[in-house]
Amino acid sequence: MLDTIIIDGLSFALPLFIMAIGGIYCERSGITNLAIEGLQGFGAFFGALWIVIISSFFNIPINKLFYLALLLSMVGGMLFSIIHALLCIKFKANQVISGVVINILSTALTTFLTTQINSLVFGELSDKFQIGTSVRFSVPLLSEIPVLGAIFKNLYPFEIVIIVIAIIAAYVLNKTRFGLRLRACGDNPHSVDAAGVDVYKVQFKAVLVSGALSGLGGISFAYSISTNFSPAIYMGYGYLAIAALIFGNWNILPTFGACLLFGFARSGGYALAQILKMPSTFSDLIMILPYVVTLLLLIFFSKTNRAPRALGEIYDKGKR
Amino acid sequence: MSEKTINKKKENTFIRIILKLVGNEKWQHITIPILLILLSFIAASIIILILGKNPLMAIYNLFQGAGIFPKPSYAAHKSMLTDFLSLLNYMTPMIFASLAVAIALKGGLFNIGVSGQMLLAGFIATITIGYSNLNWGLAKPLVLIVGMVAGGILGGLIGFLKYKFNINEVVSSIMFNYIVEYVLSFFIHSYYIDPVSRQSRYISDASRLTLVNVELFGLKMDISIGFIIAIILAVVLKRFFDKSRVGFEIKAVGANPKGAKYAGINVGKTIILTMTLSGVFAGLAGVTYYLGYFASIQPKTLASVGFDGVAVALLGNTNPYGIIASSFLISIIDRGSNYMNSMAGVRKEIASVITGMILLFSACNAYIQHKIRMKKDKLEHVAGKEHEE
Repeated sequence: MLDTIIIDGLSFALPLFIMAIGGIYCERSGITNLAIEGLQGFGAFFGALWIVIISSFFNIPINKLFYLALLLSMVGGMLFSIIHALLCIKFKANQVISGVVINILSTALTTFLTTQINSLVFGELSDKFQIGTSVRFSVPLLSEIPVLGAIFKNLYPFEIVIIVIAIIAAYVLNKTRFGLRLRACGDNPHSVDAAGVDVYKVQFKAVLVSGALSGLGGISFAYSISTNFSPAIYMGYGYLAIAALIFGNWNILPTFGACLLFGFARSGGYALAQILKMPSTFSDLIMILPYVVTLLLLIFFSKTNRAPRALGEIYDKGKR
Repeated sequence: MSEKTINKKKENTFIRIILKLVGNEKWQHITIPILLILLSFIAASIIILILGKNPLMAIYNLFQGAGIFPKPSYAAHKSMLTDFLSLLNYMTPMIFASLAVAIALKGGLFNIGVSGQMLLAGFIATITIGYSNLNWGLAKPLVLIVGMVAGGILGGLIGFLKYKFNINEVVSSIMFNYIVEYVLSFFIHSYYIDPVSRQSRYISDASRLTLVNVELFGLKMDISIGFIIAIILAVVLKRFFDKSRVGFEIKAVGANPKGAKYAGINVGKTIILTMTLSGVFAGLAGVTYYLGYFASIQPKTLASVGFDGVAVALLGNTNPYGIIASSFLISIIDRGSNYMNSMAGVRKEIASVITGMILLFSACNAYIQHKIRMKKDKLEHVAGKEHEE
């Protein structure tokens, strides 16, 4: 029982974590990112679409295309995030509104395109792309440790990918020159400009990174929760990622803690329902656990939270 | 003259025509949205064209389905008028939802939780009044009041959390959306479910805010009481923001909270008030949706109109009159999509794509205004130079 809590908790927390890292990159550069929900959906759509097409035209079993799907989803998320970058940086739109616009557009566009492509290319009436099941593996030896060994049991390959990328992302953000500039853009863009760095370029890159990471998170959810892409992917996990990063005070490590908390609150709740043999209607009440936990934690921690100082402000070179 | 200058001249005349059309700043709040809407329809037409369908016919079908243009044939007791009245019925919750978003936006807040507030208001009004035996004279006003109170409380709570604990209203309202959605789904499934329709049981006719199947002139039509209230409240709201002190304070806090504080406005109180007012309108949207347009609640679903309201409010420039106009347009796109689907064979999902695109373009509104001003200045400069030569 404890094993399932840990295994399911991790496979939910890690995609959430990678999306939150994307959000941290974006917001630390000074651009509010409410678009994660839309970006993860479009990324997953893009990845799922291409592997379905490739597998049916080249007769490759779809399970073999797992890593390609991850990669393409990152590309898809990045492509869609260009809209957010253009709206926020070039067109100087309100960043909150731009995020919401992207979420609405992404839901509408992927729903339309999925049904349309299914009927045009594959001749079937469906709003889903079947992307096959992902293999799962256990690390030998380590997975035999009692209790904690569950961390290494039944892993999805994407969990490893996410951890590797997360470590790289943390290093880049905190230890490199690019990361320093990015963080400075969110706190004091004028000083970055004075140092001779193009603020817009840094912000543009940050938004693209967030798009790519959101796409990775989206396809991971598609693999772990439903084994297909459908509009049901817009479950609001993108918003949960935003809550996680705010709760984590825009730092990567505390955000990881928040994501783990969400993951375990969710899997723990399901396990509890099973133990108590509750009827299925009660599953609705358990679903609210991550959201209630978020709200309660925000009540306790929001006071001390400090957002990047220039977050959400449209950077204007002429304004000092 | 060389070819280059001729080309440039041509380009300039083209820009001049556009500037003539949208350059007048006094009318820009109307002309630019119209330009944006046209752009979105052109973009949608291109998609339809790629699919190998006739875009003009498809868009015409869209308007036919919504009751703006007559259809070639109608079922018994139906006519263009009945279609048009259903359009108004459909549009009512959208007006309220968009007004709710607009109120929050004026106060510098973003109420993305309209859907959750709608659901809560609709649910509480349903179980208290909708399932009661009250006669219609009592039930209908009570439904409105219960809805306003329920929505206002949830909205006010979000404002309170922002004021007291510094919780970003976007995050908290999204959390509340989910909490309301799942908790109410639990209650509906446990106590109020209709086993056949898998929705909550139907409410009494006396409490319903839409009069359904009223027979008039040999037609059967749906008359929305909420629509009239929506129009009246939109006018009141316009006056409220233009003339009243509280309305001005909300706008001041929205424009510059620090400045408002120095001017002696109680910012915290204003934030709570703004969110409460926004919640009240969301509550009205909820009762006109769940106890008007529909007569039951589908569990575990948030009404998409709460999110579309963001689009409509932005398209209407957060001006109540603009919102009525833009709700009208978006409702036509939504309502007509089924008919378009069956007549032109264009999937109805494209309707939300068109809405999404209108929204996308309207997010660039400020930039477009800025660009037009720049172009105008430049042209005047060039014209001045030519004159000198």
